[in-house]
Amino acid sequence: MKQKFLTFIIAFAIWIVFAGKITSDVLIIGVGAGLITTVFFHNMLLRSINHPKGWFNYFRVLLVVIVFIPVFFYEVLVAALKVSRHVIEKKPSFCPGIVKVKTKLTNITAITILANLITLTPGTLTLDFDIAERAYYIHWIDVRTREEVEARKEIIEQFEKWLEVIFR
Amino acid sequence: MVIREIFFYFFMITGGIFAAITVIGLIRFPDVYTRIHAAAVVLTISAFFLTIGIAIYVWDFYLSLKILLISLFFLISNPMATHSIARSSYRKKIALPAIRTIDAYSDFIGEDQ
Repeated sequence: MKQKFLTFIIAFAIWIVFAGKITSDVLIIGVGAGLITTVFFHNMLLRSINHPKGWFNYFRVLLVVIVFIPVFFYEVLVAALKVSRHVIEKKPSFCPGIVKVKTKLTNITAITILANLITLTPGTLTLDFDIAERAYYIHWIDVRTREEVEARKEIIEQFEKWLEVIFR
Repeated sequence: MVIREIFFYFFMITGGIFAAITVIGLIRFPDVYTRIHAAAVVLTISAFFLTIGIAIYVWDFYLSLKILLISLFFLISNPMATHSIARSSYRKKIALPAIRTIDAYSDFIGEDQ
C-alpha cells in the first residue's frame, strides 16, 4: 500500500512538471493517468521499500547519488575525450575486442544499472550478461590487456564500488 | 546575466564540437561496433550538453525542468538502444566485427570464430 501511494506521488509530480501549469483539468487528467500507471507498474519503481533501515535507507541512497553524479560526469567526459582522440588521429590506431568480465553484484537492479553505466562510458559497450556465471561480455574499443583481473580493474571496478554502497 | 551567457555558450560549443566528432567518427571507423561507439556514445554526451545549454538559456522554472527531464531520458534510453542494436547484430550475424584481437563472446554463444 505504501509502495503504491509513493509511486502515485512520483508519477503525479512528473506529470505536473511536464504539464507546466496547475489548473483543474490538468489535475483531473493527471490523477487518472497516475492511477493507471500505479496499477500496472507499482512493483517496479520502489523495490526496497521493506528495507530493515526503512526511511533512513532512502535518505542515505539520495546522499550517495548526489555525491556520485559529479564523479560520473568526470569519468564520462574523460572517456569521451579518449574516443575523440581515436577519431581525430591521422590513422585510427586501436585494437577492438570483446572481453569477459565477472561481477560481484547480486542485486538485479544494481546489475542493470552497472550495465547501463558501462555502455554510457564511451569506449566500452555491454553486449550480453551471463546469468549463470554473473559475467558481462563487453566490446572494448582499445584492448590494453588480456588478463581478466586487469580488464575488470580498468573497466568496472570503480562503478562497482559505488553501486555496492548504494544497494547495500 | 553575463555569467549565465558564458555557461550557455560553453555548453553549446562543447556539445557542437562533440557532435562534429561523432559524425567524423561515423565515417572513418572500420566496422559496425566501433561505429556504434562513435555514433551513440559520444552523441549521448553532446545531446546532454546541448539540452543543458538550452535549459540554461531558457531559464524558466517549469520549462528548464522539462528540458532537464528530457536529458535524463537521453541518459536512460540511449544505452539500451545501443546495447540492443549491438547484441542483435552479433547474434543474428548481420555484421561480425572486422578487427578483433580477442573475442570471448563467440565462445559463449558456442561457435568458432
